[in-house]
Amino acid sequence: MKRILLNRLLQAILMMWSVGTLTFILVRLLPGDMAYKIAAGRYGDDAVSTAAANAVSAELGLDKPAFQQYLHWLWDLLSLDLGNSLVSGAPIIVELQNQLSFTLVLAGCAIVVAALIAFPLGMFCGVKADSGWDRASLTMSTFVRSQPVFCLGLLLIFLFAMELNWFPVAGYGGAPYAILPVLTLAISLAAVSSRVVRNSTRTAVNSAWFEFSRIKGLSSRRAFVRHALPNILLPALAFMGIQLIGLIEGVIMIESLFAWPGIGHGLSHAVFARDIPMLQGTALVMGFLFVLINALVDVSYYLLDPRQQEVQS
Amino acid sequence: MTFIGKLSTQQRTGAVILGCLALFAVAEMFLFSIDGNQQFLAQAFASPDWQAPLGRDQFGRNMFARLAGGLRISFTLSLVCVVTSAVLGVLAGVAAAWRGGWFDNVLNFFANTILALPGLVLILVFAAVVPGSFVMIYLAISLVLWVEYFRLVRAIALNQVASPALQSSMLMGFGKFYLFRRHIWPALKADVFSLAAFGAATSVVAMSSVGFVYVGLKPPTPELGLMIVELFPYYHEAPWLLLEPISLLFLIVLGFHLLAGKAR
Amino acid sequence: MPSLPAVFSFRLIVIVFTTLLSLTACTPPRSPDKIVISGPFEPVSYDPASSGYIFSRMQVIETLVDVNDDGTLRPGLATGWQSNDDFSEWTFHLREGVKFHDGSTMNAEVVRKSLAVAFGKPVPFDASLVKDITIPDAHTVVFTLSQHYRPFPSLMSNYTMAILSPASFGKFNRMTALIGTGPYKITDFQPPHNISTIRFDDYWGRPGTIKEVEYITGHRSETRALMVKTGQADIVYNLDPAAVEMLKSDDSVSVFSELIPRTTLIKLNLDDPILADRSVRQALSLALDRTGIASGILRVPGIEANQLFGPGMGVWHMDDLPPPSQSLKQAKALLEQAGWQLANDGVRYRNGKSLEMNMITYANRPELIIIATAIQDQWSQAGVKLNVHMENSSAIPSGHTDGTLQTALMARNFANIPDPLGILLADFTSEQGGEWGPMNWQNPSLFSRIEQIGRETSEASLPAQARDVIRTINDDLPLIPVVYYMQHSAVSDRLQHFSFDPYERSFRIADLQIRSEP
Repeated sequence: MKRILLNRLLQAILMMWSVGTLTFILVRLLPGDMAYKIAAGRYGDDAVSTAAANAVSAELGLDKPAFQQYLHWLWDLLSLDLGNSLVSGAPIIVELQNQLSFTLVLAGCAIVVAALIAFPLGMFCGVKADSGWDRASLTMSTFVRSQPVFCLGLLLIFLFAMELNWFPVAGYGGAPYAILPVLTLAISLAAVSSRVVRNSTRTAVNSAWFEFSRIKGLSSRRAFVRHALPNILLPALAFMGIQLIGLIEGVIMIESLFAWPGIGHGLSHAVFARDIPMLQGTALVMGFLFVLINALVDVSYYLLDPRQQEVQS
Repeated sequence: MTFIGKLSTQQRTGAVILGCLALFAVAEMFLFSIDGNQQFLAQAFASPDWQAPLGRDQFGRNMFARLAGGLRISFTLSLVCVVTSAVLGVLAGVAAAWRGGWFDNVLNFFANTILALPGLVLILVFAAVVPGSFVMIYLAISLVLWVEYFRLVRAIALNQVASPALQSSMLMGFGKFYLFRRHIWPALKADVFSLAAFGAATSVVAMSSVGFVYVGLKPPTPELGLMIVELFPYYHEAPWLLLEPISLLFLIVLGFHLLAGKAR
Repeated sequence: MPSLPAVFSFRLIVIVFTTLLSLTACTPPRSPDKIVISGPFEPVSYDPASSGYIFSRMQVIETLVDVNDDGTLRPGLATGWQSNDDFSEWTFHLREGVKFHDGSTMNAEVVRKSLAVAFGKPVPFDASLVKDITIPDAHTVVFTLSQHYRPFPSLMSNYTMAILSPASFGKFNRMTALIGTGPYKITDFQPPHNISTIRFDDYWGRPGTIKEVEYITGHRSETRALMVKTGQADIVYNLDPAAVEMLKSDDSVSVFSELIPRTTLIKLNLDDPILADRSVRQALSLALDRTGIASGILRVPGIEANQLFGPGMGVWHMDDLPPPSQSLKQAKALLEQAGWQLANDGVRYRNGKSLEMNMITYANRPELIIIATAIQDQWSQAGVKLNVHMENSSAIPSGHTDGTLQTALMARNFANIPDPLGILLADFTSEQGGEWGPMNWQNPSLFSRIEQIGRETSEASLPAQARDVIRTINDDLPLIPVVYYMQHSAVSDRLQHFSFDPYERSFRIADLQIRSEP
C-alpha cells in the first residue's frame, strides 16, 4: 500500500517537472515575440504596439539568461508559486480554485448520472442478454463510442437547445446550464460502463450459484438482490474508477464546447491566448487529478483483491 | 489472404468502411482534383450538383473536395502516428525486456513521465508550441501512443524471453532478429494489431479535437474538426453541410474500432 | 432465463429521467428591472489600459471629452476646453458636482492623479506628448505638450484616459477597484466572464431607468444569437453574418446594423522589391473583388471601401470617388508593364523571381482569415501567389518593427482617436509610418502637408486640405482599402430606445427603457 502511494507521489513530481519544463521551453521558443503576444492579450488587438510590448518585457524580466530563468521557474513551481496570468494579471492560483470547483461539479454530476444510466440499463440488458433490447443498447453504445465526445455534445445541442429550446446552449449561471454538459459527459461514460455492467450481470445470472438460489425457492427479485448484485457491483465499480481517467480528457472538450468555466476550458483557452502561466497551472491541475484518480484506482484494487496484498506485503 | 481469412465479421465490416473512405479520398485526388480551397462566393450553400456532389460551403467551396482532403489528412496522420508509435513502442518494449537493468529502468521512467499526464493535455501543450503545425500534432500524438505498445510488449516479451524455446534457440546461436521473428513477434502480433487500430482512431479524434478548439491546423486547411467548428454557425441555413464532416469522422472512428476487433 | 425483476423496469427509468429533465427545462425568468448584455469582449482586469473599453461601454467610467455619432467632440467630464495659439498648451474646464461611485467628489487634483497613472501605461498614442499637467484651480486642468498638437482633445476621449477615484489605486498605483463616475457602478466582477452593475443614484447627468445590468462574455457569435433568441440576453453585440440571417426571421428580436469607424485594410511593406512599384500596388487593388467579399462573405452589400476613412468620418471621407470595381484585365496589364510575365504554372515571374508574397492576419476577428483566403484566391487569378499565415494580432506591430512583414490584412480601428487628423499625424508623417498604418512609404511632400494641417488654426481651409490628403493617399496606395466595417447587434423587443454608438464608447444603457409587459 505504501509502495503504491509512494510510486504515485513520484509520478506526480515527475509530472510537475515535465509540465514545468515543457511550458518553460514554450516561453523560450517565443523570445522576442513573447512580449508582443502578452501585450496583445492584455490590451487587445486595437491597442497592441511596440511601446506596449516593451513595457511588458520590462515588467516581466523576459530578458535574463535562459538557465537562470529555468531554475527560477522550477523553484517557483516547487514552492507552488504559479505566478500571475499574463492576460488578466490575476494570480493563477485564485483562478484555478475557481475553475476547479466548476470542473468538480461537472465531473461529479456526470459520474452520478452515468451510474444512474449504466447500472439499470446494463443490468436490464444483462438479464435480457441477446434480446432485441440488448442489441439496441449495444448499437447505441457503439454509436456513442464511435464519435469524439464533442460531436456527441453538438448532437445534444442541436436536439435540446436549438430544436426543442429546453436548455441554454452554453455558458453558466444556474442548474439549467449544467444539464447539457453533464448529460454529454455522462452518456459518453455510460456507453462503455453499461456494457461492463451488462457483461457481469450476464455472468452472474447464468452462474450455477444463482441458479441454485432460484431452485432454493428465492423469488427472482430476492435472488437477484442478494446474490447477483454484489457480484455485479464490484467489478463494475472498479471499472468506473478506471474510466475516470478518460473522463479528464472528456472534460477538456466538453467544457470548451459549452463554455463551462472549468479547468478544461481554462486550458484550451490558455493555449489559444498563449497565456503560459495559465497553461502551466491548468495542465498541472489536470495532471494532479489524473495521478490522484490513478492512485485511488490502485488503492481500491489493492483493497478489493486480496491476491495483491499478499504479493506486496 | 490468410490474414483476411482470420478476421471476424466485425473486423471485416470495419475494413470495408475504411476501404470505402480511403477509396473516396484517393479517387477524388486522381479523378477530379478540384481545389477545395477555391472560393465561389456567389455559390455559397449551393445544393449538391454534378460539379459538387456534396454541396458547397459558406464560401462556395466544393465540399466533395474538402471532405476528401480532410480524409486524406486524417488518414495520413493516423498512418504516420501508428507506424511511428508502433515501431518505437515495440522496439523499446522488446529491448527493455531483453536487456533489463538500467536500460529498462530508464525507459520505464520515461514512460511513467508521459503516463502522468492525460494524453490530450500533452497534445494541447505541444500544439501550443508551434500553432497550426501538423508535425507538432504528429509528434505529440505519437509520444502519447507509443507508451501503450511499450507496456504491453514489454510485459509479453518478458515471458517470451524467459521461455525455454527462446533460450534453446539462443543457445543454438541464432541472431537476435531471427529470435524476435520466430519467438517474440508471433506472441505480440494480435495485440499490436488491435492496439494499432485503436491508436489510429485515437489519433484521428485527437487531431479533430485540437482543431475543434481552434489550436490545431489552421484554416483554410480542410481538417475535419476545424470544418465542424467552422460550419457550426451555419447550422440553421445548411444543417446537411455540418452533418457531412461529423458523419465522416464518425465513420472513420467506427471503422477503426470495428477493425480492432476486441473491446479495449 | 430468469424473468425480469420489477425494479429494473425500463419504462420506469424512462419516466423518471424525462421528469427530471423537464423539471429543470425552463429558461430563467426575466427580471422586470434588470437587463443582460452579451458580447465577445473579455474583461480581463479592472485596468482601463486593458479593459477600459468594456467598462466605458458599460457606462462605469467616463472621460473628459465625449464623442457624437459623427465623430465631433462634445463635453464629457470637462464642460469645455481651449488651447493657446500654437496648440502646445490645452486648458480643460471640469464639470462641477461630479461624484465618484465611492461618494468622493471629482476635482482637478483627482483628475491629474488619474491621468498621470494612465500615462504610465500603454496608451494608443505617443505618451511623451504630454510634458506636464498643472492645476491652476480646483476646476481647471492645463496640459503642456511637447509639440504642437491640434487634435489633442480627441485623445482625451480615449477609454484609457478615464477619470477614476484615487481609491481605485493601491500600492504602486495598482488597480484594486474601478471607481468611476458613470451612471452605473460595479457590484460584481468575475474576469473574464461577467460584470454586474447597478444604477448609480448620484450620477451627475440623467440617470437611467434600468436598475441592474449584467454583462456576460459569450465567445461564439451563434451562442450570442441564441441567447437573445431565447431571452437569456436582451442585447447582443458583434454578430456574424450567419447569426444575423438566423435572427432576421425572429419576430421578437430586432437586428441593428451600423457602419463603424473601422476599415479592413491590406498593409504593405513598401521597402519590398515587389511592392515598391506603384503599378503593382494598383494592380493588386484592381484584382480585388470587393463586391464579392462584401456581399458573399460579409453579406452586407455596399461596404466596399474605395478609400482609407469610411462614410461618417466628416471631411476625411470623399463622397464623390467612384465605387471600387474589379478589373482583372487592367490588373494583368499593369503587372505585365511592370515586368511580371505569366509562366506556365499560373504565376508571374520577373528576372526568374516569382511574384509570391506572404500575408499575415490574425484569428481574433474571424472574418479576417476568411477575407484573406478570398484575396488569396482573387490574386491568384492575376498570377500573384499569396501565402496566408494566421498569427496573433501582435505579429503586425512586431513585423512592422523588425521589418519582416510583407503584407498583412488587418481591421484598423479609427474610433480610438475619433479625429482622423490624429491618426494621420501619428501614422502618415514619416517614412517609418505606423504599426497599424503604412510601412516604409516615402512621400515627403504629403508628410509636410499633414504636419502643416496639424499646426494651422483656420477651420475653413480644412475640407480642401483633407480632400488633397485623401486623394494623394489613394493615388499612391500605401495601404489597400478592402471593406468598411458593419457592426451587427440584436435587441430583444422588450427594450425601447436602443441606439448604437458608432464609436463604441457606450452601450447607452442609461437611455434604454424596458417595455411594460402587457
